Order: sequence, then C-alpha cells, then structure tokens
Amino acid sequence: MDYSRVEKEGGFYPAVVKPVLRRIGIQNACLIALILIMFISLSITVPYFFSAGNIEVLFMGFIFEAIMALGMTLVIIAGGIDLSVSAVLPFSAIVVAYFFKANVPVPAAIALTFLIAAGIGLFNAWMSNTLRVHPFIATLATMLTVRGLALAISNGENVTSDFPKGFSFLGQGKVLGLPFPIFLFIVLAVVLGFLLKHHRFFQQVYFIGDNPKAAKMSGIKVEAFMSFVFILSAVLACTAGILTASRFENASNSYGINSELRVITAVVIGGTSIVKGGTGTIFGTVLGIIFMSIVYNAFVMAGINPYYETIVIGTILLGAVFMVEFFKEKELNLK
Amino acid sequence: MNEEMLRLENISKSFASNRVLDSISLEVEQGLCYAVVGENGAGKSTLMKIIGGIYRPDAGRILFEGQEVKFANPGEAIRAGISIVHQELSLASNLSVAQNIFCHREPTNTFGFIKWNQLYERAKKLFETMGVEIDPRVLCGRLSVGMQQIVEIAKALSLDSKVIIMDEPTSALSEKEVDHLYRIVATLKERKVAVIFISHKLTEVFRIAERIIVLRDGKLIGNLKTGETNRDEVISMMVGRHITDLFPPKSSGRGEDFFSVEGLTRQGKYEDVSFTLRRKEILGLAGLVGAGRTEAARAIFGADPKDAGTIILEGKRLEIRNPMDAIAEGLCYLTEDRKTLGLFLTMKMRFNIVAASLGKFIGRAGFYRFDKIKAQSLKYVDLMQIRPFDDEIKVVNLSGGNQQKALLAKWLCAAPKVLIVDEPTRGVDIGAKAKIHQDLRKLAEEGIGVIVISSELPEILGLCDRIVVFCEGRVSKILENEDLSQTEIMKFATK
Repeated sequence: MDYSRVEKEGGFYPAVVKPVLRRIGIQNACLIALILIMFISLSITVPYFFSAGNIEVLFMGFIFEAIMALGMTLVIIAGGIDLSVSAVLPFSAIVVAYFFKANVPVPAAIALTFLIAAGIGLFNAWMSNTLRVHPFIATLATMLTVRGLALAISNGENVTSDFPKGFSFLGQGKVLGLPFPIFLFIVLAVVLGFLLKHHRFFQQVYFIGDNPKAAKMSGIKVEAFMSFVFILSAVLACTAGILTASRFENASNSYGINSELRVITAVVIGGTSIVKGGTGTIFGTVLGIIFMSIVYNAFVMAGINPYYETIVIGTILLGAVFMVEFFKEKELNLK
Repeated sequence: MNEEMLRLENISKSFASNRVLDSISLEVEQGLCYAVVGENGAGKSTLMKIIGGIYRPDAGRILFEGQEVKFANPGEAIRAGISIVHQELSLASNLSVAQNIFCHREPTNTFGFIKWNQLYERAKKLFETMGVEIDPRVLCGRLSVGMQQIVEIAKALSLDSKVIIMDEPTSALSEKEVDHLYRIVATLKERKVAVIFISHKLTEVFRIAERIIVLRDGKLIGNLKTGETNRDEVISMMVGRHITDLFPPKSSGRGEDFFSVEGLTRQGKYEDVSFTLRRKEILGLAGLVGAGRTEAARAIFGADPKDAGTIILEGKRLEIRNPMDAIAEGLCYLTEDRKTLGLFLTMKMRFNIVAASLGKFIGRAGFYRFDKIKAQSLKYVDLMQIRPFDDEIKVVNLSGGNQQKALLAKWLCAAPKVLIVDEPTRGVDIGAKAKIHQDLRKLAEEGIGVIVISSELPEILGLCDRIVVFCEGRVSKILENEDLSQTEIMKFATK
C-alpha cells in the first residue's frame, strides 16, 4: 500500500521541462531564468555591460557579501540569523591592520585575526545556546558592540600605513585569471555546497533547522553544531574583512555598513527560508548572489541615479518573493 | 511464556506540590501490546516519559531486561532499546524518508560522506520487513500524517528498540491508515517487541491490546487482560463512576429544512457538494481523512475560497467572502486544530471565550466593557463546566478536554445559527467527550443547526441523526441514521 501523495498528471508545467525542474527545483529555475533575462537584456541595452572588464567588476562589487552569504546560509538553515557579520568585517580589517602596524608577520596576523573572529562567533553561540537569547537580539548586540570596538581601537580613523608587501595579493592578485577573492569564493562555495549535500556532519543542519527538539532526541548535539555554525559565519565575515583591507590597502570603519541586510537578502532570494529553518542550499545562495551582483552593477552601468537603487532592490526583492510563492504552489503538481 | 522486558516498581513523580504518579508498579513482557488508558491528567504521558527517559522518577525503580536503569536523557533510553513515537511528529520535512529514519546514523565512508545507495537500500529493507511500501527517497513533508507516523515507527525499529511507546498513535489517522497501523503492531509483536500505547479510543484498545492498564489521578487502578474485561468495566475504572450513556438520545422530532448548501465546488478538493440541514437534527459529515469534508466546511465558513456553490440560510442566499461575513450571518466553524487555529493559547480563558464576538462588548467611545466580558466568560465557564472554575487561567495550562470546551464556548458566545464542529472530541478524555456530546444535542434541540465532522465512526453513529458520506471530494450518499453500522458507512466512503 502506497500512501505517498501522488499528484495528478498534467498540471501547470509542460512535460518537457518537468525533469529539469524536478532536478534543480522551481525556485532555482525561476532565478536562473530571471538572471538570464536580466543579463541578456542588459547586454543588449547597456553598452559595455557584456565585457570581460565589467563582468569582473560586477562580481567583485558583491564578492565580500557573497563570501559572508555562504556562512549566513548555514546559520539561516539552522533556524538562526547572524547580524554581526557586518561588524566583524570592518573589525577584522582594522585588527589585521593593527597587527601589521605591530610588525606581526602576515600569516600570524591573519591567523590571530581569524582566532579573534572565531571568538566572536563563539560568543554569539554562547548567548544563543546558554543564555537562550534569540539569535536576532544576540547578534544585534554583538554587531553594535563589535562596531563600537572597531571605532574605539581605531579612534574612528582609517588605518592605512604599514601594509606589508605580499598582503595585497589577497585582494588584488589573480589565480587562473580570476581575482583571488572570486577564486576563493568559488572554492568555498563548491566545497561547502558539496559538504552540505553529502556529509553527515553538515546534514545535521537540516534536522536542527526543521525541529531542534527532535534533533536532540535523535542524538544530535544541537548546541555544539550551532556553535560551529556561528563560528563559521564569523570566520567567513573575517575573511571578507581581511580581503577588503587587502584590496583597498586600507582598513576603514565604513566597511560593511548594512551589509548584513544585503547578505540576508541574497540568501533569502536564493530560497533559504527565514520563516522556518530546514530549507536552503548553497546553490540557491550562489544564484541569489549572482542576481544581486547584476542588479547592483546594472545601476552603475546604466548611469541611473543611485538614489533609486534601494527602491528598485526593495521592489525586486518583493517581486522575487511573490514569484517564488506563486511557483511554489504550482510545485505541488510536479512531483 | 514470554520474557519480562521491563518492570516498574513503585514509581512516583510530583511536579511542584502536585503528585502526578503515585507508586505505580507494573511489568511489561516482550511480544505483547499494552494499552494505557485514563482521563486526561491521569498521568499516562508522565509515566511514558519516565519510561522513555524524558523525566526521572522521584521514587521507585525501573528494571529493563532484569537490570536496574536510570536514564539521564532520552538518548540513553533509545540506546538501551526504548523508543517513544510522540504524538507531535518530529520528522524533518525537507529531508528524505530514509534520512529521517537513519537521522545522524546514516551509513558513511571513512570521511563522513553519506553512502546514498546504501542508505536507501537499508530503508527499503526495513520497510519490507514491516510490510509497508514507502519510497525511501520521498521527502517526509510530502507524506500524509499516517505515513509519517509509520516512518517514525520504522525509525524506532531501526534503533533495535525492544519497547516502543506510542502516544495516541491513531488520533490523526484515517480509518485505512489505522488498519495499517494495527497490522504493523502485529508484526512488531511477532518480532518480540513490547508495544505500549496511550489511547482514548476504547474500540482500538480492545482490538489490538493484550493488556489494558488503567490510570486514574496518578494511581494504577487496573491491569486487566483484554479477554477478561469489557468496555463498561474499563470506562467505569477510568472515570471512577459509571457513565451509562456516552451518547445522548437522538433528535426528539423532525424540523423543517432551514440551511442548505448547493453545488459547492473547489477544483481538485471537492465537487458539487450539496446537503440540507433540518431544525433539531445533528448532521454528520463522514468520510476518510482527505475526502474534502474539512475543506468544504472551511469554504462554507469563508476561510477558503470556493469556485462555485450557494449557501442558503433561512431562505436567504448568503454572500460569504470571509469568516467575518460568516460569523455576522450566524455561521460558525469550530476547527479540528484547536491549538493553531482555534485558541489563543497564552491568553486568558476570558479573552478566548469572547474572541469571536468582541463587537458585543464595546461600550461608548469604542472602549471594551470589561465588566460585561467578565460576566459573559464566567457564565460560559460555568455552563461548559470548565475546570478549574476560573476565567483568568491561561488556556495553555488546561487539559485537552477543557481546551475543547473553551473553544466550544467561544463559538456559543458568538450566537450561531449554524455551528459546524470539526473533530469536536479529538484528544479529549471520556468525561469531557460525553459532556460535549450532550451540549451539542442540547444546542440542536434549542434550534441551532449542528453539523459534526468526525473521523471516529462510533461518534458519527452515536451522535448524528443523518449522515452525509464523502468520498474523494464528492457526496457519495446521504443516510438516515437508523441502526446503521460502521460497515455501511465505509461502503460509501471508499470506492
């Protein structure tokens, strides 16, 4: 006897596209279509949009948010949220710059900065695990505190001098013809995406996000895993901070302002549910990142008044969410 | 002779000053099925949670396979071989059936990567031994509640459980799924697993259990062999008194037609649903879960859109676009899901009772008349016999039976002309059940139209005067309830 819900034949989608949709999911398929439409129409209408130079600019424009979005995806799937990333970014840039000022060698400076960032992630986890503070409040508090710390350390000023040679490679160098940050992002996305899909340790995130109590009953160490997730998010934000410092050879308090919202937007557009944990993929997030990159770049390239930028992004976000809801309903006819 | 698996000796448990379990002793043998019955608050769930390692007893010993055990957490109980299938299911809806069964115990290679083929193969084998056909690759969120429950049982089996505890396993299942569950319980018994289940449904208790354990007020009242007792004895042990009639008498007379639904249709859910309701009668909507009864009722109430259909009350054709319209016209719908759709759990009883009729309590300048609210809510607490007699208690702290009474009070307060009640006694103890049945009959006698949706056929048969049978979204038959049997209804409810 098979009770699996078998949906009626026929339905909304033509038979040809069904196998494709089943494979990648409707939301991702929509995003891909949207990205292609935007890309093609921009290439036709905006001069120089489709040029090697601009494609690089396009992706570099959102690359630091992109790196943070990978960690954020895990946090949100696990049912949490991490607002502190936007503060960890400038904080790490300033901390690493101060290490250089103190003549700490590059590898040691980076390692120490990572360690401090991991400490911030652990602090977030401690507040949420032990003190049972909702991650939104906990990481909001961390964001304010860490941003303040960065301002206090730097006295509100930019830290520009004493960047060692060789450090600039991280933000400005190229690997296989790709800027290093983009290369790093691709590696991280592929590795993390694969692990999330196929590794037992990473799979825990879906159980925890869906139902933390049940996960605990099944022998999953929920607190330990949440600590890992928050640390990962902080470490990735720190990576973004170090890369930013290297790219501009400057560490500024103005880095990353409001970036947590851009990061969350990319993740949500990529289909990770912020309402209920347990859904989301790295692949979706990557699509969300590409989408956001194109939108931001389009404004610059089309020479539209930047004041309109957030209006359009807000509208598009809303449109994307509506579209996803619309197609999700139709998804029932698919399986 | 079966071997003893589990022995409880003088188990006691108190929460604060409230003694929930009082010196309970019992033995559980392998390969037998035990039914634990009792009214809500009798201590059934607490006892199960102690066996499953969720609570620790204040006094007494637990012996498992002859050894004394003290479980610090549910994980230890599971590893020892005691699993609980909870009433609230706990599967991750976006992961496959196989992954849920082998949650965090998936077969992997040395680097921790999951071996998918092996995972699905194992799940498939497990289902084969249980005699079930479920695709291990399907996402759990796509399964019906009944199937999810079977996946939970499979999970318990995959853990080599020797004792499987089920908390009201059939409360959300359709008849067909219940039958299936019975067969699985039979297989479990053959495999020498001891099954303990909590149930409010005595029919199923007598059908599948070898022994019936009756609890009342935290005390063990009876430990009976199923063959040596009967329904009435068990009920009187549960309530400590004799309940002679679980169901009130049938309608005193036949009134005129006053409410009708014609050609109600919603693509893919239900089609051409028509029936009429007469004064003084209780109309039952019977059918399997998913036959379209709840969906049709929600559409009548304006909670969901409909594609076509007319609703006529007292000769007037109603235009209902949302629940507000429906309530204004005197159409009320008591949901089957009281916790998420019915009650405001963390609010006081008082505001729950007046929630659907707040408009009546507004005084001059638009302020609420709290004195009126209080008077009205106390009246209903008294009328419905809600215990404790207190309209300021938070509803979340009440038993299922009292919550259900509160929900009924909320709709009575809205002065309905037609009241549709969906699963009015789900998860409700026998005392409250009888009270709710009597109240529904009283309402019908007073001239309020009562429509009952229930998946429990004995309830439909015992309570209703006429029965509309649904089958796959259509009304397959309207029956006069005169000496009907369950089989006759099932004949029309299935194809």
